[in-house]
Amino acid sequence: MRKICSLLIVLVLLISISSIVYADESEEDPQDGIENKTKKEIQVMNNSLGVEIRLLQLEKALLKNILKGEMTVQVLIGLGFNTTENNTDELESILSKMKLLLEDIRVVNTSSTESVQIFISLKNESKNLTTQFRETIRELLNETSLSQIRERIKEMLGDEIDNFGKRIRNLIRQFNYNQLYRLYGLVGEADSSFVNDYFNGTLPLNETKLQLCRIINGMTNEKKYEIFSEIKGENIRRQIHAQDALENMGKGNRHGKY
Amino acid sequence: MNKKVIAIFFLLILMISLVFTYSYFTQKTTEEKPYDYSIDSVDNKEISDEIDNLLLDENYEVEIGEMV
Repeated sequence: MRKICSLLIVLVLLISISSIVYADESEEDPQDGIENKTKKEIQVMNNSLGVEIRLLQLEKALLKNILKGEMTVQVLIGLGFNTTENNTDELESILSKMKLLLEDIRVVNTSSTESVQIFISLKNESKNLTTQFRETIRELLNETSLSQIRERIKEMLGDEIDNFGKRIRNLIRQFNYNQLYRLYGLVGEADSSFVNDYFNGTLPLNETKLQLCRIINGMTNEKKYEIFSEIKGENIRRQIHAQDALENMGKGNRHGKY
Repeated sequence: MNKKVIAIFFLLILMISLVFTYSYFTQKTTEEKPYDYSIDSVDNKEISDEIDNLLLDENYEVEIGEMV
């Protein structure tokens, strides 16, 4: 009997120890709270054009959600959610906070040294408010009504969002034009008509890239390596910049800055 | 008595094996590919991938979740 007891104790101990070991291993880095997509997004924020693009994309996403939220509230009022017991007050309060946040995004200085931290902070706040709205509405309606609303608001998003999309596309085109122009310079190609065609919208990005790759492929291994090192170096610099910004943000958080 | 001891002993082995199997299949890969780019090793695909990283997708959208 004693043997059984001691074996059982050993068994329990082993399981507990292994759980502790794995709990330690899975402990998250403070920076893991920031999702990979955001980490990728901030890599282009090492210049004001990149900052402007990301902020506009965030503004578009938030504006889209505000418009959807407003339409949803209208639908709810139409369904009779305007009594003292059943109303849309909480949803409207969340929408007001989202509108204030939209103003905050619009006034961010794209040349600020803290633009990355500000972007992450505003994005997180946008996500939190969106989640709050979604959870609140789920308490008011069942899944069938929610999917009906989803279908209705999908068709209603109009010109404002389209214009935003065009603005962002133009800025991205400018951003890519700058990068491609620099690459053509690096390659030593005098004819940059492909880049101009891309900028004018007559040549798609993948075609422009393909033309560039064709030129590089025809080069000697030494030249290819030189170009590769230059591009790789630029991408690494971007990653370091993003990592620095995240580390600074971590320090800021520890001091209660954000 | 002996049967019980053996049964618990096997249970013990089974549990330990389970823990190690789980750890083997879920461990994070900390080993990264060595950064070894010699002049001859750089291929066209790698250059194309690096160019992709340098450019932005025109249709990319920042995601903050759905309202409904």
